[in-house]
Amino acid sequence: MIAANAQLDLLTLGAHHATAIPIAQPTTEMGWAGWILWLPLISLIACGLCAAFRVRNKLPAWLTVGFLGSSFLVTLGLYFQYTEPVTIELFRWIDLSLGTGTDAAGFTANFSLYVDQLSLLWMLFVTGLGTLIALYASEYMESDVGAGYARFFAGVSVFLFAMSALVLGDNLLMLYLGWEGVGFASYWLIGYYYTRPSAVAAAKKAFIVNRIGDLGLALGLYLIWRTFGTIEYSELFERLGSGHHATQAGGWSVRAIPYLLMLGAFGKSAQLPLFVWLPDAMEGPTPVSALIHAATMVTAGVYLLARMFPFLALDAAAAPTVAWIGALTALVAATIGMAQYDIKRIMAYSTVSQLGYMFLGIGVLTTFGAAYHVFTHAFFKAVLFLTCGAIMHGFAGQLDLRKLSGLRQLPGWRITSYTMLYGCLCLVGFPYVTSGFFSKDAIMAQAFISGSTGLGLIALVTALLTAYYTFRVWFRVCAGPVKYELGDDHHGPDDGEGHGDHGDQHGHGEPHAPRLAINLVLVLITTGAFLAIFLKPWAREMVMGSTARNAEPHSEGHGFWQDPHKWMPVVASITTIVGIAIAWHFHLANRKAADALRSRLLANPATAWLPVAMENKWYFDEIYHGLIRLPLWIVGHALAFLDRYLVDLVIVDGIARVPRWVGRAFQPLQNGILQSYAVSMAGGVGLVALLVLYMPQVIKLLEGWLGGGGGG
Amino acid sequence: MMAWLLLLVPLAGAAAVALAPSGRARMVALAVSTLTFLLSVVMASQFEAWAGGFGIESNAPWLTSFGVGLSIHADSVSMLLVLLTTLLMPLCILGSFTSITTREKEYYAWLLVLQAAMVGVFLARDLLFFYICFEFTLVPMFFLIAIYGGENRSRAAIKFFIYTFTGSMITLAGLVYVAWQFRETQGSWSWDIPALTAFAATGLSPGQQGWVLFALLAGFAVKVPLFPVHTWLPLAHTEAPTAGSVILAGVLLKLGTYGLYRFVLPMVPVAVVEYAPLIAVLSIVGILYAALICWVQQDIKRLIAYSSVSHLGFCVLGLFALNPLGGQGSVLYMLNHGLSTGALFFLVGMMYERYHTRDMRELGGLATVMPVWSFFMVFFVLSSVGLPGLNGFVSEFLCLVAAFAASPDAQPYPGVLGPWYAAFAGLGMIFAAMYLLIMVGKVVFGARREPDADHHHAASSLPADLTPREIGVLVPLAVLCVYLGVQPSVLMDTMEGSIADTLAAYPALVESRPDPTLEAVAEMPVEALVEADAPNFATAPGETIGGDDGDG
Repeated sequence: MIAANAQLDLLTLGAHHATAIPIAQPTTEMGWAGWILWLPLISLIACGLCAAFRVRNKLPAWLTVGFLGSSFLVTLGLYFQYTEPVTIELFRWIDLSLGTGTDAAGFTANFSLYVDQLSLLWMLFVTGLGTLIALYASEYMESDVGAGYARFFAGVSVFLFAMSALVLGDNLLMLYLGWEGVGFASYWLIGYYYTRPSAVAAAKKAFIVNRIGDLGLALGLYLIWRTFGTIEYSELFERLGSGHHATQAGGWSVRAIPYLLMLGAFGKSAQLPLFVWLPDAMEGPTPVSALIHAATMVTAGVYLLARMFPFLALDAAAAPTVAWIGALTALVAATIGMAQYDIKRIMAYSTVSQLGYMFLGIGVLTTFGAAYHVFTHAFFKAVLFLTCGAIMHGFAGQLDLRKLSGLRQLPGWRITSYTMLYGCLCLVGFPYVTSGFFSKDAIMAQAFISGSTGLGLIALVTALLTAYYTFRVWFRVCAGPVKYELGDDHHGPDDGEGHGDHGDQHGHGEPHAPRLAINLVLVLITTGAFLAIFLKPWAREMVMGSTARNAEPHSEGHGFWQDPHKWMPVVASITTIVGIAIAWHFHLANRKAADALRSRLLANPATAWLPVAMENKWYFDEIYHGLIRLPLWIVGHALAFLDRYLVDLVIVDGIARVPRWVGRAFQPLQNGILQSYAVSMAGGVGLVALLVLYMPQVIKLLEGWLGGGGGG
Repeated sequence: MMAWLLLLVPLAGAAAVALAPSGRARMVALAVSTLTFLLSVVMASQFEAWAGGFGIESNAPWLTSFGVGLSIHADSVSMLLVLLTTLLMPLCILGSFTSITTREKEYYAWLLVLQAAMVGVFLARDLLFFYICFEFTLVPMFFLIAIYGGENRSRAAIKFFIYTFTGSMITLAGLVYVAWQFRETQGSWSWDIPALTAFAATGLSPGQQGWVLFALLAGFAVKVPLFPVHTWLPLAHTEAPTAGSVILAGVLLKLGTYGLYRFVLPMVPVAVVEYAPLIAVLSIVGILYAALICWVQQDIKRLIAYSSVSHLGFCVLGLFALNPLGGQGSVLYMLNHGLSTGALFFLVGMMYERYHTRDMRELGGLATVMPVWSFFMVFFVLSSVGLPGLNGFVSEFLCLVAAFAASPDAQPYPGVLGPWYAAFAGLGMIFAAMYLLIMVGKVVFGARREPDADHHHAASSLPADLTPREIGVLVPLAVLCVYLGVQPSVLMDTMEGSIADTLAAYPALVESRPDPTLEAVAEMPVEALVEADAPNFATAPGETIGGDDGDG
């Protein structure tokens, strides 16, 4: 329930947009910015060549790190050159004109870049983290050198290309290209261990669920084109500002636009009701989970809504819908995260939950809060995934938090444990020393101002749960007495045969601690997560200089308890610390208590459903299977049956049999393939001859009918 | 005159193949089809009508008293389809080297005859010549399926023949009716397609146009195939030899959509405006119906066959959106579908040669055994799914956006469809991802499953993974898929003029609904009608007929 004045702001913003924001001007001078996209593409080709020539060393990794690093440097260069929004055309892609003269319209979607502060903000962390994570993966994936190594880095390169196209594209179709492209890269990398059925299934699920969202985005794009006559941002914002859609404003076709965009965003960013693919996506190698399924790709939905933010004003209920979906997703995912044992899956649910916060931010009109949270989250969640990956890598695939304990005291695991600790502190928003604290507070406070108390409370409760489940992981895995069990495989055998012995070797040996590449990357990204604290003003400036700018509604009063921005740091800090304390009690001080509590809940029939439902992820997968997949599958089988037996056998063949019976009546001896072929041929020729001969009569007959039909 | 070579070279080649020593037949055929391809490229490079109108006109008087001439011409759309045909044929021949081991001479001869017939369809300017070629494609295809097909080949061949033949008989009746009407009003016979088209568009009453529309649809819809007259296709595709399936999907289905483009749209515009929603609904039902059926198939080839039904639904939907977006998207779709589905059939054939099964339950995890094959499989599946950056995306997207924008209030091209059509057809995008990725997930990825060892490699001397020859078949297609995905405007610019000509009458016609009147059609470019008084063979060779200027 957005307060009336807040909604008004948004609408006003739409109306004055053209004057408020410098519209991007085309420039021909900065063609070199295209290298941000071309370098990952070259990297892809290089990796492809490595695969084709069966390179058996780490060359693909170094090539990828080199090209992606260069892409990051070009992005930095673009950032320092940046003065005002520009569009840079790289080449013509789709450029159709319809009609001429005054009616002329067109469908133009060229391969062009739209450079403004928002796209720069995104590109900086996408290419930066992409490079670092590729470096990390050079060590992480080393057991696959010569096997899937090049394929892995090719996938990472594809991803970086597509993500850059998504963010930098100057029109919605290029965004769509990147959108599907990152979906495909995700499919590629989730299914990296393609002999594992669960990985293949997860990859497929990710692609298909994303496609549902993509359809929404595509339809939104069509509607925008139909309403505004263009899909290029610069013109789009100009036309929105000048009220180009005024004649259709309020019609369903205009009001549907924000919802269709939302559908796309919720698919890509794993929000209710389309979040089910993200937890399964953890089947991919961990660097992929860190890069794609935590730091960058899943924020594409937030980027879309931030980029198209003024379009949320096309319907009054759009922004509240985003806010509520985000808040509910945050809560639901947090409850599921509390009850999982696989640390990587817990991180996956925490990602879904944090993405929910970002959408809540968009929905309560703090684009700055959302974008800043995207930025900080990219760092600290990458750290968390990469530390999980390091553990998985070292402990032969062990991810069960019940089977790992006291890592911080193990030699060689100190960096992992303490970077993970800092990551956890960021995730829960530990007061004042973490960037997550500032970004999350910006959203939660605004939720009380321009949202409603309900939204704000959900956000606070979720923060409490987040603190609990996050530190449940850290207290279990890194603190406490040293105790561990190795997993039974290396992180996914690449093929059924080659790595079997590998698995044995890891199954009984000692854990092997991370080495230079992993540790270096962990330290660098953790530093980034810390430094992000000081980038708050910078992030605000970046967002406010872009099309996502808006004036955040202020609270009515200025006293401490009247302005959520003032009391939120205190309340949020207390919430967080309480959450950590509960986790400390159950998972460090008295680990048996957690199990006792669970059994007590299970013993009582009135509460037994709660832990069961949470552990089973509230049965979302089962419900979707029963409500959507199963009925469609049944329909598919029914149609296949009908097609084969009713349409083809009964109707078509039945009709086909009529002439045969007729033929039999005249030619009882006729049988065999060629004869019947000849007969039908002759029959056809005869029919033509008859038609031509008796044409006048036929015509007369037909005209008799047509006279009746034509007059009607 | 050079254009005739495109017909004569394959025919002469077929004769040469028949006379060649049996071991040489395939090389001769390959040489001939490559030569034809090069000829068509040369012709395309000299083609004068890329910007619109018709080129390479050439007439030879035949039955002058009856108005029949052997005449050909091409607009940019036919030119592109000719290029597709001539490109696919050498690949088909190259791809058949190991799969066809009996009656080789006959096989390659039939392929070349088939090529001549297909090129004839796209180039014909004379109605009877068109029709003869159109029907004659059935004969080589019949023998290709009946002799070289799978277990159920004779039933498939007969069904294919009779089904499509019956449909086209009705089409012929419709076309003859138009010619008859022409004679009734103009006093002389003419079989010149532009003249008949211009005449029919303005000279037939709305009621008559309706009848002609359904007569034409009877043949063309079967060819496309449009739901519910598609059932010959899964059977024919499944049983045909690989090259037969490739040609069937790549070119023969396009004869149907080409017929819709060349005859239905310009000839009976009033009826088209009236019935476009019906045809669009049939396309959409086809898209979803076939996609759901694909989902439960176990035979990969059958799955891809049904996917053609689903894909061609987008193509027809685009045409009947009646705006240039849809027209260009649809023609592009014809080409793209030829490339990517053709390639998928090649891939299935290559796998079949090694495992002698196409049953997904018996196959799995081939990525470990055949990495190169798997790479191409995934690549062409993605192209077929419509991944942006590859070719399938652009055409599918344009067809959908065209249907979406084809609402009556759209400007400058109002239509009779609308957002809901696109929304439902768009579900096909999701389904396509479902059935194709499930297929890939089972066959390419997952745990390794192969049929019994004694099957494997026993019957063929082929290595586990693709040979250079097979890679050579796939690479040109893959390169084109990428190129057309990145640079679709190269083709779209060429077809812009022709499609604008074809659709010129529609905006006014749609505006005049609900009583579409013939006056609205009168805005159509009718230069052709003026010339139609004289039998068309009298036209000077090379003279352009049909509006190419002043008809925007």
